[in-house]
Amino acid sequence: MVDLIYQLFPYAIAFTVPLLITSLGGLYSERSGVINIGLEGLMLMGMFVGALIISRTESIYPGTAIWIGLLAAMLFGAVFALLHAFACVTLNANQVISGIAINMIAAAVTVYLARLISGSGNIQIIRGLSRQTIPILSDIPILGRLLFTQTYATTWFVLLILVVATFLLYKTRFGLRLRACGEHPHAADSAGVNVYRMRYMAVIISGACAGLGGATFIVTISGEFNGTAAGLGFLALAALIFGQWKPWGILGAAFFFGFASTVANVSQVVPMLAQIPGIYLKTFPYVVTLAALVLSSKYSLAPKAIGEPYDKGKR
Amino acid sequence: MRKWLALLLVVVFVFAVVGCATEDAVVDEGEDVEEVAALRVGMVTDAGTIDDKSFNQGTWEGVLLAGQDFGLETRYLKPGGTTEADYVTEIGNLVDADFKFVVCPGFKFETAIFDVQDRYPDAKFVLIDGYPHAGDWEPVVKENVVSIFFAEHESGFLGGLAAALQLQEGEVAFIGGMEIPAVQKFNWGFQQGVLYANENYSTQVVMNADNFIYQGTFDDVAAGQVLAAAMFDKGVDAIFAAAGGVGIGAINEAKARAATGQAVWIVGVDVDQYAEGIYEGDKSIILTSAMKYIDVAAYDMIKAELDGTFPGGEILMFNAANFGIGIPKENPNLDPEVEALVAEAFAALQAGTLVVSDVQGDLFK
Repeated sequence: MVDLIYQLFPYAIAFTVPLLITSLGGLYSERSGVINIGLEGLMLMGMFVGALIISRTESIYPGTAIWIGLLAAMLFGAVFALLHAFACVTLNANQVISGIAINMIAAAVTVYLARLISGSGNIQIIRGLSRQTIPILSDIPILGRLLFTQTYATTWFVLLILVVATFLLYKTRFGLRLRACGEHPHAADSAGVNVYRMRYMAVIISGACAGLGGATFIVTISGEFNGTAAGLGFLALAALIFGQWKPWGILGAAFFFGFASTVANVSQVVPMLAQIPGIYLKTFPYVVTLAALVLSSKYSLAPKAIGEPYDKGKR
Repeated sequence: MRKWLALLLVVVFVFAVVGCATEDAVVDEGEDVEEVAALRVGMVTDAGTIDDKSFNQGTWEGVLLAGQDFGLETRYLKPGGTTEADYVTEIGNLVDADFKFVVCPGFKFETAIFDVQDRYPDAKFVLIDGYPHAGDWEPVVKENVVSIFFAEHESGFLGGLAAALQLQEGEVAFIGGMEIPAVQKFNWGFQQGVLYANENYSTQVVMNADNFIYQGTFDDVAAGQVLAAAMFDKGVDAIFAAAGGVGIGAINEAKARAATGQAVWIVGVDVDQYAEGIYEGDKSIILTSAMKYIDVAAYDMIKAELDGTFPGGEILMFNAANFGIGIPKENPNLDPEVEALVAEAFAALQAGTLVVSDVQGDLFK
């Protein structure tokens, strides 16, 4: 049992990280008052750009290609999210519909471009990120084996972003203003905050994070862009709600999803778990999420102005 | 800010429009033929894309090759879903557009073909990996349909034999996609191949029932990765992955481990997957691949139709005897002696002196 947990932990963490960073992107967008169900599409864009750039550059710059790809994925995710921001903030469009549109455009455009550029709907990268055991820290009893063996560099990068993002959101003027735009944009406006600009920035940040999430999935897990994000973006959205729009909440929720999915995936080859029908294990995280949402719906901490286009004239 | 956005959107749209204009050329690959009565060959894809490096792609390559060789117009359509109605719609679209020869890869087409074989009596259909039935598994193959099966068990046998001979000692495992006949036969053949090597060439390759599993889908990459990881951690040396996208996950895990110097292998499936397993230079973790020559089957049927020998109403079996299955011609990870022994077994399969069972018997599920 203990061995199993030791063994599964690195994979659970690897699965958690793309979810976490995408969820964090959603957090920024939604905290500013813009619903972002386009996370799936933004992630897919990140997967596509990441896989494309890495596959094209890895023979020239073997080690750094992955990081170039991750950066490019962030950049393109941000640019792609501009569409969402333009529709929701400038044009006051329905945010849910715009998000769906983002998902549909991403699914079509990425496959189309992949065909056009590489002649195939699948883009493979040769080398993913390699797993590393961190020297001294991995000798810490229990925690060392759980957290510091077989880790990906992206995991630490994403955790760093999480810490910085949390600080930014709760301890700086920028963060306070951003949150105010999601709670009461008119009040924020009367205090001199440019609501439109804040929301634009938040959505762009969410695009960058989701793009990074998609590319992280490519370099750590799948190794191949194949035209779908397999619902990870929606899972990230669920983690965001389950985590009640709080950075540490989504860390917990994303890890819960990551660990539960990993256990479900691996259950077939673990005699102890193989007795439980796979369908129960696979649906477990979603059932728990549903139950938790039902129970907590009364005290939902969703930003108050979420989903409402900001209209200056309205009071 | 607004101006910039407007400019950006304009660029995006122009790009999209220009892009659309060139797409048609990609789909039509056949050349225009002078003869009006030339055969037009269509294909409907199964779940997955046309370039899935597996079933759809193999079929399409056969169709394309025939198109080039005989100057035929070819076209494929991708259904919106994987229900019978989706398939019937696309088949109907092809026939209506005068594509009177339609190739359908996958057992999921069985009931759809049952439906259209009566509806379009003047069109010919090739059904790969299945036979038409009304949903009751009672084969009804009309004169305008040919149904093709592959001896996956023989292909799996050769893969298992090659893996066992190359490893000499160690442990092997199996990851399947859905638990359907084609995948099951791969599994059972593979086990027989390993047992055959243990008995006749005194290799010591272990198989453990816990490590012979069907993941349940053909597309869960993450699941494939962690399953393979768990197996490798248990001491497995080679995994036979007959699981589409799930297999890609397993290949990835093997690549990551090989890059750190661990000796782990994957036996590929359907097509030669060597290139998918490359992790450095031209070193690959694909030991060999248990292949089905789907492209050959599609090509042969088109050729037969042109020659007027279309085997309508028949259920054909592509096996070792008619070169319908095998391992790749080149296997850089196999020793020449191993390849020679596998070739020997292939010859024995052809001659009928070696018989591989296509039922479970006392093998693992």
